[in-house]
Amino acid sequence: MSTVTEPVTTQLPPPRSEIGLVGWLRANLFSTWYNSALTVVVGALAAWALWYGLRWLFIDADFTVVSTLGGLLIIGQYNTDQACAGQNCFWRPQAALLLVTLLLGMSWGVAGEGLTRRIAIIVATVVALFAFLPYSLERMGWDVRLLLLANVPSLLLGWALARYTRLGTWRWVAILSVAAFLLTLVLLRGLPGVPGLQPVSVLYWGGLMLNLLLAVAGIVVSFPIGIALALGRRSRLPVVKLLCVVFIEVFRGVPLITLLFMSQVLVPLAFPENFPLNALLRAAIIITLFSAAYMAENIRGGLQALHPGQAEAARALGLPGWQTTLLISLPQAIRNVIPAIVGQFIALFKDTSLVYIIGMLDIVELSRKFATTYVENNMLPYLDDVQEVFIFLALVFWIFCFGMSHISGRIERHLGVGER
Amino acid sequence: MAAILQNLTYQGIPIWRHALVIQWTAQILSGFLVVFLVAWFFFNIANAIDEREIPYGFSFLERAYQTPIGQHFLPYETSDTFLYAFVVAAVNTIVVSIVGVILATLLGIFVGVCRLSGNWLVAKVALVYIEFFRNVPLLIQLYFWFYIVLALPQVREGYVIADRLYINNAGVSIPFPFPDGAAAALFWIALAVAGIIAGTAVHRALTQREITTGQSSYPLIGGFATAIVVGAVAWLVISFVAGAPFVVSQPAPQGTFGRIAGGFTISGGLMALLIGLVMYTSSFIAEIVRAGIQSVGRGQIEAARALGLSPMSTLRQVTFPQALRIIIPPLISQCLNLTKNSSLAGAIGFADLTNVAKTMTQTAPAISIFILIMAAYLAMSLAYSLIGNLYNRHIRIA
Repeated sequence: MSTVTEPVTTQLPPPRSEIGLVGWLRANLFSTWYNSALTVVVGALAAWALWYGLRWLFIDADFTVVSTLGGLLIIGQYNTDQACAGQNCFWRPQAALLLVTLLLGMSWGVAGEGLTRRIAIIVATVVALFAFLPYSLERMGWDVRLLLLANVPSLLLGWALARYTRLGTWRWVAILSVAAFLLTLVLLRGLPGVPGLQPVSVLYWGGLMLNLLLAVAGIVVSFPIGIALALGRRSRLPVVKLLCVVFIEVFRGVPLITLLFMSQVLVPLAFPENFPLNALLRAAIIITLFSAAYMAENIRGGLQALHPGQAEAARALGLPGWQTTLLISLPQAIRNVIPAIVGQFIALFKDTSLVYIIGMLDIVELSRKFATTYVENNMLPYLDDVQEVFIFLALVFWIFCFGMSHISGRIERHLGVGER
Repeated sequence: MAAILQNLTYQGIPIWRHALVIQWTAQILSGFLVVFLVAWFFFNIANAIDEREIPYGFSFLERAYQTPIGQHFLPYETSDTFLYAFVVAAVNTIVVSIVGVILATLLGIFVGVCRLSGNWLVAKVALVYIEFFRNVPLLIQLYFWFYIVLALPQVREGYVIADRLYINNAGVSIPFPFPDGAAAALFWIALAVAGIIAGTAVHRALTQREITTGQSSYPLIGGFATAIVVGAVAWLVISFVAGAPFVVSQPAPQGTFGRIAGGFTISGGLMALLIGLVMYTSSFIAEIVRAGIQSVGRGQIEAARALGLSPMSTLRQVTFPQALRIIIPPLISQCLNLTKNSSLAGAIGFADLTNVAKTMTQTAPAISIFILIMAAYLAMSLAYSLIGNLYNRHIRIA
């Protein structure tokens, strides 16, 4: 019986210069002489920019403009005397916010662990923290603060509803979301004759509230319209195809700002007098249609990239045409173009800042207007103090847009885009 | 009749469930609906026009516009017609668009390549740049730059760099070559273009020679040298015969208020618009470039490296030409976006097409102006698509 000798394998550890921090530095920052030079130069520049930026941010910058604007940034002139004379309307946007946190809580309850829970908790916490803003009680009363704090119980209530009642399905969350959005619109607009709900003209809607409302309405409505347009453009029916192509190309060919402006001067002429169509509604419709035209092109791209075998297999299995489209083609097409679609949603949210052209005071226009007024009235010493407002606004928009693209990346990975 | 019915009722399927019948009914109905809606809109507009006695048609184009336009690249007087003012505004937009597209593409390619750099720090700086400028509305960026320009010191206390560059809250004044005589300038431009064509031909011939004979022929140097020599000789000859075609005009403070005269003044609005548009668009282009480069198979890069090409040569001669095919179509759409986004200029007081058109609607029929604007933007999109598609055809795999 022969003895099997184990082969001698002495594994030497890699040299110390190749592992750990030193190894990482050598591989990523100082691999060659020009990389080292680049690292030093860029590092020096970045450090200088960071030092200068942070010093400005924490020492030189004077964010009093932002804190002076305060609630105006969030709800615009909604609660001013012109908007709702002789009553306090602040609770209406806040009730809408409570609905949002309630629905977030329900989504958390349905989804369980993961990103949804994190988003729900972060949103509710941030909103509740607003209750501790160091304003005097005259500027921000107990009622306002309590309603802000109520977002935490609202979130928990939503979670409990989803967990312990029969409402805990995505279907119910979707239905309730639509209901909540309509309820929000009614709340904000008010009902004539109902005590406490006196009508507030939409012209006073403003601030971040306006941006979010326009974005949400635009996203929700433009998506189905975009799908319809994309299907219409690929249709074999010549009349339908022609109509869709003309619509898409007209809306994609002209800048949004031109369309918005024309909605102001041309659309009122195109409808009879006394037609119930106010400036905000016109803007919302134009933004939605504009977004839908771009959405249609994205979805068309997804449909084109889809292998024809998919639809053929579905037809061979006996699915009727509409089921083939709805159940086979569209889900795959949309999954493949999620980045483009979310990019369009982000663009739409950013584009809501263009409503300044029709005189609405969204968060950007409101800040700009008030900031320049401060300068003109010598309430601020220098014009460059206005910069703080724009830095702040940039941060606000950045958080929303970056958040959206981050979530889209997560969804993509969850659905395994590019892997199947 | 019976034969038609026979055709339509296939295997006992009733007429109203026949695919062709359903399709054509739907088409005719939707067509009628749209025609009816459009007709209704036009009827209402015509009514409103009659009631309010707004003039309509395009006769206003020959009237004097009588409104000043801020910065403009074509000569303009307030006594000029609407049509000419519209052209001036369109040229403003076109200049911003072309300059912006060139700068944004260069910056975008640079940032996109940095994003993929093996150097961790460079890649992260590029990432921060992209993620920041992409996710902030252009309008906020424009305001930011505009208020920086506005916050610059007054003209008299403005910054002066090397006696040539004047920076103040009226804008930035730089030395700029202006044509001395129109004929000489045009003649020189024609000869310079001829020089560029000759240079391209030389470049092509030398490349061909290098490929066929294998001898180093320096096509790039030869091409550039030809173009420069032709341009310089033309310049000298024209200067000798008719005086220099272009004279560099230097900016200098003038008069009691120290207003800057001479040179070319980039107004604050234009400056902010260009910086904002270029930074915003370049962040999108950088992502397109990154995706394009990443789409090139790893094997290509490895093969190039195995053949002994340096990383720079690999990027320039193997990766980038292949990535270009992926990059061009979305790049064209970004160029169009930049052109359309330049309509935000109105917010920072630069008279672009949309802004001038908006002012025009106060004294001219809105619907005519809207048709003109649509035509102008459509022409620009078509021009960009045409150039892009021609280039795309030029570089595609045969």
